[in-house]
Amino acid sequence: MCFKTLPVEFDGDGNATLRGGIPNPYDVSVARPDVDLNETERRDRIERLVARNGHIKDLNMDPVTRIAGALAVHVTADLDKGQYLDSHAQATLFRGYEVILMGRDPRDAIFVSSRACGVCGGVHAHAAAYAIEQAMGITPPPLGTVVRNMTEAAEMGYDNPLHLYLLAGPDYSESVIRSSNPELWPKAESWACPSAHIHGFKTMADLMTALNPLTGALYREGLEFTRLSREMVVILTGKYPHPQNVVPGGVSTTLTLQTLNEYHSKLGKIFDYAQRMMAVWDDIPAFFYEADDRYQFVGYRPTNHVDPGYWDDPYAYDATYENCNAWGEKRWSTPGVVIDGQLVTTRLTDINIGWEEFVEHSYYEESSSTRYEKDSLGNPLSPYHPWNKRTLPKPGARDWKDKYTWACAPRWDRTVVEAGCYSRLLVTALAQKMPSSDFMSSTGSSMRFLVPKGESGEREVEWQVPERWNAFERNRGRAYHYLFSQLVGLESLFEAYRLFQQGERRVAALNPEELEKAIPQDERVAVGWWGAGRGWLTHHLVMDKGKITNYQICTPSTINASPRDPWGQPGPYEEAVMNTPIIEDLANPSSFTSIDMLRGIRSFDPCMPCTTHAHTGDGEVVREVNTCSCGGD
Amino acid sequence: MADRSTRSLPPSTPTPAEDLLDALGPIKGFHDTSHLGAFGMPSGAMTEDMLAGEAVASQATRFGPLEKVHAFWFAGMSCDGCSVAATGATNPSVESMMLGAHPGIPRVILHHPVINIESGPHYLRPAEEAIEGTLGAPYVVILEGSIADEVVAHAAGGYWSATGEEPWGADGELRPVSSTEWIARLAPNAAAMIAIGTCATWGGVPSAEGNPTGAMSLMDFLGKDYRSVLGVPVVNVPGCPPVGDNFTETVAAVLYFLQGFGPLPEFDELGRPAWLFGETVHRRCVRGAYYEEGTFAQEFGDPECLVEIGCWGPVVNCNITSRGAVKGIGGCMNAGGACIGCTMPGFPDKFTPFYKRPPGSLASTTVSRMVGSIIRPLRKFSNNNLNREARWDRQGAAPSAFSREKYEPSPLADVGHRFYDKMRRASDTARGDAAVWGKRPDEAPSGGRPRTHT
Repeated sequence: MCFKTLPVEFDGDGNATLRGGIPNPYDVSVARPDVDLNETERRDRIERLVARNGHIKDLNMDPVTRIAGALAVHVTADLDKGQYLDSHAQATLFRGYEVILMGRDPRDAIFVSSRACGVCGGVHAHAAAYAIEQAMGITPPPLGTVVRNMTEAAEMGYDNPLHLYLLAGPDYSESVIRSSNPELWPKAESWACPSAHIHGFKTMADLMTALNPLTGALYREGLEFTRLSREMVVILTGKYPHPQNVVPGGVSTTLTLQTLNEYHSKLGKIFDYAQRMMAVWDDIPAFFYEADDRYQFVGYRPTNHVDPGYWDDPYAYDATYENCNAWGEKRWSTPGVVIDGQLVTTRLTDINIGWEEFVEHSYYEESSSTRYEKDSLGNPLSPYHPWNKRTLPKPGARDWKDKYTWACAPRWDRTVVEAGCYSRLLVTALAQKMPSSDFMSSTGSSMRFLVPKGESGEREVEWQVPERWNAFERNRGRAYHYLFSQLVGLESLFEAYRLFQQGERRVAALNPEELEKAIPQDERVAVGWWGAGRGWLTHHLVMDKGKITNYQICTPSTINASPRDPWGQPGPYEEAVMNTPIIEDLANPSSFTSIDMLRGIRSFDPCMPCTTHAHTGDGEVVREVNTCSCGGD
Repeated sequence: MADRSTRSLPPSTPTPAEDLLDALGPIKGFHDTSHLGAFGMPSGAMTEDMLAGEAVASQATRFGPLEKVHAFWFAGMSCDGCSVAATGATNPSVESMMLGAHPGIPRVILHHPVINIESGPHYLRPAEEAIEGTLGAPYVVILEGSIADEVVAHAAGGYWSATGEEPWGADGELRPVSSTEWIARLAPNAAAMIAIGTCATWGGVPSAEGNPTGAMSLMDFLGKDYRSVLGVPVVNVPGCPPVGDNFTETVAAVLYFLQGFGPLPEFDELGRPAWLFGETVHRRCVRGAYYEEGTFAQEFGDPECLVEIGCWGPVVNCNITSRGAVKGIGGCMNAGGACIGCTMPGFPDKFTPFYKRPPGSLASTTVSRMVGSIIRPLRKFSNNNLNREARWDRQGAAPSAFSREKYEPSPLADVGHRFYDKMRRASDTARGDAAVWGKRPDEAPSGGRPRTHT
């Protein structure tokens, strides 16, 4: 019974059906979430306030820097009360990648869709491979899946430090604190870091100085570790960010003992660094929470998260939709949806059928369809589901009450959910379904990790589900996710060694000639569930007569950067900004930097290059495309 | 003469850049930042000023005329993969260029949305100054991603890809400004226009067949007659993504030249750095010799030459197999990835469908199979000989723990090896007849039993 808004119910075997007797059950005026605000009235009221009051400012931060891609955030700030009255997230880039894919040979999907995002390399190539494998019925050999896991663990090893030290870190650095939050600096100078014995910085001021952009020790070390992880990726994929080794049915990596040994020696350098990273991002929240309780609300939003899981069990994954709930729950990172802090499902089919995308406030024309009323298991599908949705791009004038972004509004059960790499920790911690490991375990309210010994000793650490999801907890979660991903890399490497011991060398199910023959001529509908540096990633694929007839990508930043939905519910960035108090000293209003809003936005790790929908041909077959691997459109 | 004139291009037609500026009209002014205060300036200073303390070099340690160069990085229809590749570079690294950390290099004031500390209108102020002519230092423009056809979007009151907003609306109201417009306005006074990655150099995937945005390359946008103020056409560093070092090294090479100590960097007819893209990637491929010997991978993951599983390396200009991807490590074919031509103007449409052998390879692989069928046994024969110590030959047996009874060459092979050795030593001057007087005459030959000295 995971759905509250959609009229979907389940029989004893878990099969979903639409509740009977409801005309137009998916109509936006029929299945409505509980929303008390009327968006138009609310916006009118704010505009009147702005016109009357000099202390209420309408400001547009365009561009927001230190994120990937193009994002602008419009805010209405009440500088007297220290509140953000309104916020609009604008994805300012459209490219139309899915359109390019439609009408092509399915063998093009991996390398073309990879180009949707170059920030977390490889995630789209993998998601495309999973979609193709499901559509064509190809099961990769275990070693192929293991190599994918190793690649994608190393990929996270690049992604997390890049965000924490190059993008978000400067917001907590000495240079920013002394200018934007000077009241905190004396405290930072005298505040002894509880984890000084791990990261080596005696006071918070020392730590903050190390976060200074380009010149700080932590900034430079972070950049160097992104390079080390990229080295691990390219020994498997050839290059970075777009991998050259992903094939339908596995990988084309020439895996030798040297490959494994090199991966091993590079990975071995990471665990000491992971300890320092977690220590840094444990101390920063402690300092800020102690300095001012209002920091608990910077970037705050309710605990609504979604994640399709990540890193497959090489023996369980069979690429089929029919068995997806079984192999999905065996992933290292458990799939699931968390609403108000409660885990409501871990089944991939539930995640899939609850998914819809809306374009009321996006530069597209609406056109949903009922081409697929059910998935292949008989579960009902919404007309707004990616397999059904058609989106027509239509650049136009910006209007806060109408259309203002290239991102669309994905929702699960018509609820605003958030995606993030930290969502993996959350779902996995709550679900207690993760595979057994010497290094990782899930307790129902936390994740416990054993960090293997490097030059410093081994250490047990625990990540607790935070009481309140805010900017600081997202960053802390990202630091622990770094460790999580690297331990998955270690487990996967051990699995590769085991397979080598058994003489196993096969990395792909088919050779190129067999692959060509395997392209089906009938209609196939499939989805690749995977993850990106920011969490959720799906590719929905339809093919017929051997070619791609619909291709849609949904990325985590599309979810997080989403605008208002048909019911006026703001997207996660917007909601987080409106919940953020203005803590800076506003005695002189011209000194207002909006730093806390920026901290809130950046904590999501916005990645905008890849979102977008596109377009359609003429006639009746209209498709949607949205391209992004990580981001807001 | 008549023939020649009929072959020349028609009198100059407007470039897409000119078309766009024509549609947009002249600009009347810039963003009024006076009411903004510190909004978007959390450290109270621009990145340039924050780094100046570390980055400025004195006149004495500066080799050349330039103290600093601004570099405006714009993203068109991009995936940010080129930015990511650039941050992976180490020869030189982006951070070392920003900090002026190499002798003689001017400090590079990079305006990059992923790196800079300031946001919003403050971030774009230097670009406004560049257009105004008040920047006070030379600037280059770097474009990642392809150029969208914004004329259509503008007509509808919108944009495809925007960066910031300016009071360039019909009545001076703020409107989003496309990256394409920034490029068009900055190009005339730039010291150089540099395209990074295959989208910006040749259009790339966003311009592939079926694209809805009219995406094109920087070169196509600015037109064939474009020259920077230094007289340079568009510089192209392709790759999807490019090797980070290829990009940073090219920028550095241009700066070394401008400072007076580097040679004039050579660019090919397509604006590529000739010293990096002059060879096909096959020529320095770690698997190239499998091609020579006529052995080819048939399954994904096989160690041999990848041509028959879809590799286009023999006809693609690239250096990744020798240079590596990150810190000299990786490279597509090094790891088992077939080349799909991602550095080439024909990418992607001239290389699809992927995972399929290039039709043209049939002739050459047939020839190399024939040649290889002769070469391989001969090489194996010599290889067997070279895998034996000279001592084992003299003793007539090879001790080996790994292979208990290492097989001895057949009498025929033995004769062959001796004959081969004779050929090898035919011109060996050590076989001459000068008497050796500097060592004991009774020295034991290696592999023999040393004599006992009494």
